[in-house]
Amino acid sequence: MDNFITRRRRHELMVAGGLLVVAIVVPLFIRDVTALNVIILSLLFAGLSQAWNILGGYCGQISLGHALYFGMGSYVSTLLYVHGAIPPSIGMFAGAAVGGLAALLVGWPCFRLSGHYYAIATVVVGEIGYLLFLNWDYVGGATGVYIPIAKPSLLNLQFGKDKLPYLYVVLAFCAATWLAAWLIEGSRWGYAWRAVKDDMVAARSLGVNIFSSKMAAAAISGAFTGLGGAIYGLYVGYIDPDSVMAGHFSILIALPAVLGGVGTLWGPILGAALLIPMKELSSSYLGGSGRGVDLMLYGAMIVVVALAQPQGVVSLFRRRAHGPA
Amino acid sequence: MDRRQFIIGAGAMGASAAAMGSTAARAADDVVIGVVYPLTGNGAAVGLDAKAAYEVAARIINDTHPAIGVSMGKGGGLDKLGGAKIRLVFADSQNDPQKARAEAERLITQDKAVAIVGSYTSATGATISQVTERYEVPYMSADNSSPSLHQRGLKWFFRTSPHDEMFTKGMFDFLSDVAKKTGRPAKTVALFYEDSIFGTDSSNVQRKLAAAAGMQVVADIRYRASSPSLSTEAQKLKAANADVILPSSYTSDAILILRAMAEIGYKPKAVLAQAAGFQESAFMQGAAALAEGVMSRSSFALDADKLRPAIPVVNALYKDHNKKDLNDNTSREITALLTLADAINRAGTAKPDAIRAALVGTDIPGSQTIMPWAGVKFDENGQNTLCNPVIQQVFDGSYKTVWPFDLAAKDVIWTVGT
Repeated sequence: MDNFITRRRRHELMVAGGLLVVAIVVPLFIRDVTALNVIILSLLFAGLSQAWNILGGYCGQISLGHALYFGMGSYVSTLLYVHGAIPPSIGMFAGAAVGGLAALLVGWPCFRLSGHYYAIATVVVGEIGYLLFLNWDYVGGATGVYIPIAKPSLLNLQFGKDKLPYLYVVLAFCAATWLAAWLIEGSRWGYAWRAVKDDMVAARSLGVNIFSSKMAAAAISGAFTGLGGAIYGLYVGYIDPDSVMAGHFSILIALPAVLGGVGTLWGPILGAALLIPMKELSSSYLGGSGRGVDLMLYGAMIVVVALAQPQGVVSLFRRRAHGPA
Repeated sequence: MDRRQFIIGAGAMGASAAAMGSTAARAADDVVIGVVYPLTGNGAAVGLDAKAAYEVAARIINDTHPAIGVSMGKGGGLDKLGGAKIRLVFADSQNDPQKARAEAERLITQDKAVAIVGSYTSATGATISQVTERYEVPYMSADNSSPSLHQRGLKWFFRTSPHDEMFTKGMFDFLSDVAKKTGRPAKTVALFYEDSIFGTDSSNVQRKLAAAAGMQVVADIRYRASSPSLSTEAQKLKAANADVILPSSYTSDAILILRAMAEIGYKPKAVLAQAAGFQESAFMQGAAALAEGVMSRSSFALDADKLRPAIPVVNALYKDHNKKDLNDNTSREITALLTLADAINRAGTAKPDAIRAALVGTDIPGSQTIMPWAGVKFDENGQNTLCNPVIQQVFDGSYKTVWPFDLAAKDVIWTVGT
């Protein structure tokens, strides 16, 4: 892998390190909970979208069922806490494991389908998962599960009114997904996956195992999504199938990457940095009127980006020397 | 639009958002109450009606007007706080628990709300009440009906309205009373419920109470909410032919099942609904003649004006504001805000812990509300114990109260066993 560490990759790592320092320091000066909430959600969805990007962007397998892994992650960590008294700081990794496992189980039959059929299958599987949880009494069914209010501590991943520790947890999650994507990009896997994405027949003729490439990408993507789901559930304090497994989460997870730039390191982060603050702030400050202005602005922004920068916002930052943006 | 224009546009957006934040300057005296409802997306219709209801309640409290026979009905603001006014700040939950949580937090920290009122769906009520517990401000639940909410033993949670178990108990009390009155008891029931939190909770309690009342459940039908067709379910109901069908459905499903039963030529002996869709005005239009004779529980009785003379007065105010009559939801919302304002007034200060203490000591007689309840008094979990529901039946396209019998505007038409 060392052979591939070029100047560009070192440069990216330095930029990321710089941004991380900024993301650690700046919130120290922010007191406003709404602003902190927006930053937390932006980081969370940047991380989730990066996780989606690992499968959808690098490996080219468009999944519209990531809500399933997201929901399973939050259910596993929450139920371990409520029924098993296992603290969420440990339970969330169990959530990640289950998320990854679920992605493998979905991938096993579904990766045999090609092109759009995989995307359609993921929608269906996501919906099945949703219905299953809705009708399953042990996991609270439609009533959902309350996360008991506990003493603020890192072990419980509850910080009372304090938002800052929470922000750093989510920042760590976001940084971890970015680092995973960065490592993948420069690794043998990354090259194999991109070959799968570009042309499966050619990739196979070069000795790439198509099926196991897809499965590996799905497992990593599902695991990070499950982890993000666990963190989200803890943050919200209450989960039910509608609030963590509904189909719109699959879209919300994919959208930042699509808007920012599919298959790029910075796309999901840029996309989330634009999309989430826009969505949250417009609905907070314009939603009270009940006229839906916020939703119109949100929709308009997506349309504008799709028309003006179909490759994603990230293409604005590419130098022309790298070819057509 | 090129990149530069886009950035300028985005900047302008941000600036206008910031400006809106700062124009929310507050007068020193105002007592700010945060109100969280779905104002867009699914649930917006209910949320916008709720907004109108709270605005009417605030006018009853704040404005100078002839005294109305409800608590805080004399107007002119909070007299024990030097005539301070209640100021409402509305926030849109989009019916999303995460959003509801964030908005409640924003209202408390930025707008300095001393209490939150909400929020229609139980899932949003769940997250809002966790925020208010952490920030130690009261949450007044006007219309969340899941019993799980008050069973958590929260310190800052208060609910003026009945929860689903109380509602369902009222329905079975009615069945028992009507059996005594007519001598023709319902022996079998059919459960028919949608698959979200509302229908599931409702059916669980109905199953339990039916067993306790010695009624046989001859059909137990769970269906997917907002189904395109309910003809299979209608066939099952016809095959079971229970004495009473107990539906727990939202509006479109409520209309659909009545139509589906009519299409196969099945006229049920009695339908006794768990409000929701059956109490919406869209239901009456959509089901039209099919709705005749349908019964539904309600927490409000518009026609109980002899017992509660304030109803027509408050209804006129609401109708003037929102072009609709008060219903099951809007009446409860007005009652919740009036109860909260009464507590703030008795507290004599807008400090949350004093308000909480006053809420705990709340004791409003039914005659000082627009509800057919015995009154408002909270138990140790913050649940009002004096709120009994009523049963209504459709006569000529509108609901009339038929039970409790002493409140009845019409005699119930009971066709079971005839």
